[in-house]
Amino acid sequence: MSQKYDVIVIGGGHNGLVTAAYLAKAGKRVLVLEKRYLVGGASVTEEVYPGFKFSVFSYVVSLLRPEIIRDLNLPKHGLTILPLESTLTPLPNGDYIYRDADHFRTLRDIARHSQRDAEAYEEYGRAMYFMAKAVKFILGMVPPDPTSFHPEDLLGLAKTARNFLGLEEDQLYTLVKLMTMSAADFVSEWFETDGLRATLAASGIIGTFLGIRSPGTAYVLLHHYMGEIDGAFRAWGFAKGGTGGIAEAIASAAREFGAEIRTEAPVAEVLVKDGQAVGVVLENGEEISGDVVVSSLDPKVTFLKLVDPRQLPPELVEDIRKFNIRGSSGKVNLALDGLPNLTCMPGYGRHLAGAISISPSVEYMERAYDDAKYGRFSRRPYVDVIIPSMIDPDMAPPGKHVMSCFVQYAPYELAEGTWDEQREAFGNAVVDALSQFMPDLKEKILYRQVLTPLDIERMVGITQGNIFHGELSLSQLFFLRPAPGYAKFRTPIRNYYQCGSGAHPGGGITGAPGRLAALEILKDQRK
Amino acid sequence: MNERYDAVIIGGGHNGLVAAALLAKAGKRVLVLEKRQTLGGSAATEEIFPGFKVNTGAEDAGLFRPELVEALALERHGLRFVEGPAVAFAPRLDGPGLTLWRDPTRTQAELAERISPKEAASYHRFTQLVARMTQVLDRAMLQTPPNPKEFDPRELLPWAMTGLKLRQLGKRDMMEFLRILPMSVREFLDEWFQDPFLKGLLATAGVAGTMQGPYAAGTAYLFLYHHLGGGQGVRAGRFVQGGVGQLSVALASAATLHGATIRLGAGVARIRTSYGQVTGVVLEDGEEIPARAVLSSADPRRTLFDLLGPQELEPRVMRRVRNIRFRGSTAKVNLALRGLPRFHGQESPEQLTGHIVISPSMEYLERAYDDAKYGRPSQEPALDVVIPTLLDPTLAPEGAHILSATVQYAPYALAEGSWDEGREELGDRVVALLARYAPELPDLVLHRQVLTPLDLEREYGLTEGSIYHGQMDLDQQLFMRPIPGYGQYAMPVGNLFLCGAGAHPGGGITGAPGFNAAREVLQALR
Repeated sequence: MSQKYDVIVIGGGHNGLVTAAYLAKAGKRVLVLEKRYLVGGASVTEEVYPGFKFSVFSYVVSLLRPEIIRDLNLPKHGLTILPLESTLTPLPNGDYIYRDADHFRTLRDIARHSQRDAEAYEEYGRAMYFMAKAVKFILGMVPPDPTSFHPEDLLGLAKTARNFLGLEEDQLYTLVKLMTMSAADFVSEWFETDGLRATLAASGIIGTFLGIRSPGTAYVLLHHYMGEIDGAFRAWGFAKGGTGGIAEAIASAAREFGAEIRTEAPVAEVLVKDGQAVGVVLENGEEISGDVVVSSLDPKVTFLKLVDPRQLPPELVEDIRKFNIRGSSGKVNLALDGLPNLTCMPGYGRHLAGAISISPSVEYMERAYDDAKYGRFSRRPYVDVIIPSMIDPDMAPPGKHVMSCFVQYAPYELAEGTWDEQREAFGNAVVDALSQFMPDLKEKILYRQVLTPLDIERMVGITQGNIFHGELSLSQLFFLRPAPGYAKFRTPIRNYYQCGSGAHPGGGITGAPGRLAALEILKDQRK
Repeated sequence: MNERYDAVIIGGGHNGLVAAALLAKAGKRVLVLEKRQTLGGSAATEEIFPGFKVNTGAEDAGLFRPELVEALALERHGLRFVEGPAVAFAPRLDGPGLTLWRDPTRTQAELAERISPKEAASYHRFTQLVARMTQVLDRAMLQTPPNPKEFDPRELLPWAMTGLKLRQLGKRDMMEFLRILPMSVREFLDEWFQDPFLKGLLATAGVAGTMQGPYAAGTAYLFLYHHLGGGQGVRAGRFVQGGVGQLSVALASAATLHGATIRLGAGVARIRTSYGQVTGVVLEDGEEIPARAVLSSADPRRTLFDLLGPQELEPRVMRRVRNIRFRGSTAKVNLALRGLPRFHGQESPEQLTGHIVISPSMEYLERAYDDAKYGRPSQEPALDVVIPTLLDPTLAPEGAHILSATVQYAPYALAEGSWDEGREELGDRVVALLARYAPELPDLVLHRQVLTPLDLEREYGLTEGSIYHGQMDLDQQLFMRPIPGYGQYAMPVGNLFLCGAGAHPGGGITGAPGFNAAREVLQALR
């Protein structure tokens, strides 16, 4: 038996590290156990091909809570976020929609397609800004239980009600629509240009197993608008050194506060004695004792694998079994000999330093989903492309580039065959989809890494490779995430907590579950 | 110049008549104006083929509020409900079909035998849950939605009662209720059942009349909505003796008894206003009828754009009206039959006394929706078939039957061609599909009527053929229905009210919008 810790955090992803850093900062003896050779979980940078650094999984950042950046003083630990300023949407007719930080230029470009849309764009931007601002407080609050009469819950409910009812009339209705509508219908209330509708609605499907016309996706759209960088709402950025840079900075902060981080230390189970967590057992049999155990892994793993489900109330086990965590996205990372040329906007300009969204029409997006519904990867997928080496030249050797392609849909469960058989066909479908708009891409590819949801599950450990640790649908949010009655980061096992994206407020590199869990743990400790 | 009425009601559909009867009963001078020569709107019974009295629109009156039957003594006015032992029957090509009986224990026995005892046990617990959930929804049916921007304590009281009802369910059920409401019917059923065939049959309640597939969030709510009125967690499935139009006849009789006037063949052309207040209506022939209040049972877009006129609305209200999603998704095929067909997997005629459902799996249903999503009628549609003559032989000549199929999906907006060209093709496809399940059927057909969404719009004034007067999606419910900010029946012009399915709680033969609107009108006229 080795030494004893106050807190053992299972999983060194960004949320686990945030929990560890906050607890270490509060003076606890903290140990983080990560199964891979590096920290970060799904926010890692790896040199998969010599000289080329890939943000292997998660690739952009915006949602990381500013209070975490401040509390942990992350810039001091090397966190630098470079802005991602534009989104280019190539259209099937050879045209494009280009939006960038130059607001007026964006409006002029949209006006080429529709004057009415250009006018609506300003209003839309304003509406979403207010929406995100109005809802953002939720990211920093422990979800109140609406069935409880506990003063804390009533206070939380009152706060929520006050925030929402305090909205302007139009804002309140927009909020209701965002909570319930489909992303495509929502943006269609504002815009008439098909390509613009598609590309705006695309944020509503990221990480979900839903189409842009499925009700519920407007919420995911809002979720993606809640980010801010240096106070600028809905700005997206790229961490210097790749997404691993974020995890590295948080890990560095945690270490400075005294936390210990062990890599290549996979946890097999949580030790429970008399209904109370007392430590963990590693896969190699090593036992480590701790007063508190926190899991940053997804709810299926946290409740059904790390502990014996028989120690949990049967209703909770049933709820976690029902918990919807269908994997739907894949990732293709490319090492390139040079920059690709876009037919719609030839040459090597600033547009290549932003996002390139393969979302040419609402029907294209919806048909991509139709494939997935019946267990096939999208023959013509939605792809969100960025070329990190255009933003941070250190990512690739001089003159060379890395390209990160987030792809939907790639259903974890295939109707036919296995992902091991279909991986390369999937990679080909993605490269083909891109080649439609960048004809010289294929000849520039030096190396291709294709990650299916199965690969994400195997490498990162997330069930089904679901990047949000569970669908962000209304029935799995707030006080229902991950299960009714267990949204406050606790579990039925005393001193066993959850701090991952499967907990409130959900996925993305927010750090919010990690931080809220740490605060709840500290609150319990003071009792 | 006509005399002035307290209330003029546009449309003699069941909701308009409910409002008329209640207002007349409260002593108001009431006039109902119906454009067609038949009462009932899209819940009418018409002799479209000699000797066959066909329900041209809605069939099932299972959602109709029992409170109204009592308050208006509708049974004294001739209203009789009829119901058979079966609620729904799914014929099957490769074996015995599946019947959902009105008596859930009988269904359980059948499921235990045909599928598995485990599935039967799940069904038992499932119907109990559905019964508890619908009890809560039931309370909300006859209430005016709160206005979230201006809370009036008087309005809140009934909702507090609903909240209390919710709390009485206990913590677990309350959470379940909140969790289930925004789900898709597919997720909901997947949590309970294994058998794809059973799930296909049950899932139709989640998508009936809506342009959504069973994989779409919000369809679990619609499933629950359609299980109101049944009790025991089973769909009500109730017909009206003499056809669903007799419900309107009974309502009209009650209204007239209380002094209301009903005029047929009196189409309203315009709602007149002066200084932001309604002053009356103008008929299509130019006749002017003054009124203190106008209630429209037409859908909100027809009411506010066609009858009132967009120029009367603020731009943002106008935009909200424009944004209402109608999206008609159903067609109807009415057949007069020489005799009763037999279905594959059917053992006795009593299985046909409810709805006969062709939806062999949720995937089948979703694929049917996929077609419609891109603007073409489902190549293999889901069908909801009824043979009302089984329980009420008076509807057709002796030995003959009426078979009505509600076809889903038939999108109003077609990607190619028009409904005028595609109408008979749709009829052929439906008959061919039915013939797979009931091979003798084509030979039994004497007459056929096909009503596409375009026909529903033309004949019954339903915008885009939407039978619910606007989709029943979650964002078009409560204070968002018909448009955000006008969920309390009063429309943006003084003393203009909406009393049809476009208002809370929505579509179906419930009578609830008419009931609620009448209450609001009485308040306003006081």
